[in-house]
Amino acid sequence: MKTWPMWVAGTIALAAAFHILTVFGLPYGIMDRAMAGIVAEAGDVNKPVYPESATAASRGIVRPSPDLLYTACAYDVSERPVKLTSPVPDTYWSLSTFASNTDNFFVVNDRQVKTDRIEIILAASENAATEEGIPVIVTPSSKGIVLFRSLVPSEDLRAEIDAKRRQSNCKPL
Amino acid sequence: MVQVLIRAGVSGPVRRSNPEPGRGSNGGKSLKLALKLVAVVVVALIVGAGSALLFVRGSGLGGTISVGPWQTSLVIGSAEADPYTRARVAVAGLLALNRSETIYFTAAHDDAGDALRSGCVYKVAGTDPPARWWSMTLYGADHYLVANSENRYSYGGATVAREADESFIITVGPQETEGNWIPAGSQTDDTFSLTLRLYNPEPAAVSNPSGIALPHIVKEACPS
Repeated sequence: MKTWPMWVAGTIALAAAFHILTVFGLPYGIMDRAMAGIVAEAGDVNKPVYPESATAASRGIVRPSPDLLYTACAYDVSERPVKLTSPVPDTYWSLSTFASNTDNFFVVNDRQVKTDRIEIILAASENAATEEGIPVIVTPSSKGIVLFRSLVPSEDLRAEIDAKRRQSNCKPL
Repeated sequence: MVQVLIRAGVSGPVRRSNPEPGRGSNGGKSLKLALKLVAVVVVALIVGAGSALLFVRGSGLGGTISVGPWQTSLVIGSAEADPYTRARVAVAGLLALNRSETIYFTAAHDDAGDALRSGCVYKVAGTDPPARWWSMTLYGADHYLVANSENRYSYGGATVAREADESFIITVGPQETEGNWIPAGSQTDDTFSLTLRLYNPEPAAVSNPSGIALPHIVKEACPS
């Protein structure tokens, strides 16, 4: 009995399995690497980094916008919630959070924040003990990335906007 | 090498214990089977993972919605994203926002359908897209900003010089030109892509991105 059809079929089935595993696993692997890069620069999880504007030498995150100042932290809410705080400038600004599979599960921008400062808590569940009066966002994964974007509309405003975004923070409760 | 190993398995004392002389020993069969299994796994890994990477990496952010040479997807950054879109975003647009906050259009070709090349000169002409703020940025084939002596990688709604009718023309190419110019790099054989970001797009743009008027990308010349 010829066995080669069985071998070919097995190879195709296994190739399909590797294909699916790669497609599903890539987002997690790439996010892991990005989180590791942020942690290496910040010194720990739940601590912010304040990189300069992206240039051709920037290799942290693909397709960065050179018109924005990014502030990032790798969050980990597995042990306790994380509090995000930031002043809100008079220019385009947003706070966005990303799950470990890359999904952008929350975003708020300067026009949606009615005050000049924002406080938000990330927690693993609704039942987590947090601070009263501060909105809680339940994260779909215990680890992920927080990204603050601040537009620099002109070079005249860069120093002012840079100083403000350096007050953005991520801190465990 | 494989044949040598199999022959080694059927020689000497082992061969005497083989109930079917001439067809190889149990050890030889096991070795042959093991080699076949290894070959199957290696081939499957190369084909399976390789095809996934080619599919994901070869198309930028991709998307099913096209406006001229620009493409986008409604589910970028969203939990509704299919596994392929999510993988493409991870590779070519990590930390992209969902479409209610930002719509990302990417062009890797000009209006005629030819790949964008660093050695060619293009005119990108249009009007402000319907958003609070927009920017157009050039990226190399590796999805990073392209080094140039001007350290200029993009233009935005606040920085682009405009024509008398408020429209704009941006030249993309290797040599500096008058007016708006984004350097395309010095490697003439390289390909590049452009990303148009629409921050806080108007509701009509969010619900119907294919109806947005976006800049044309016309190849002027390929001097090098």
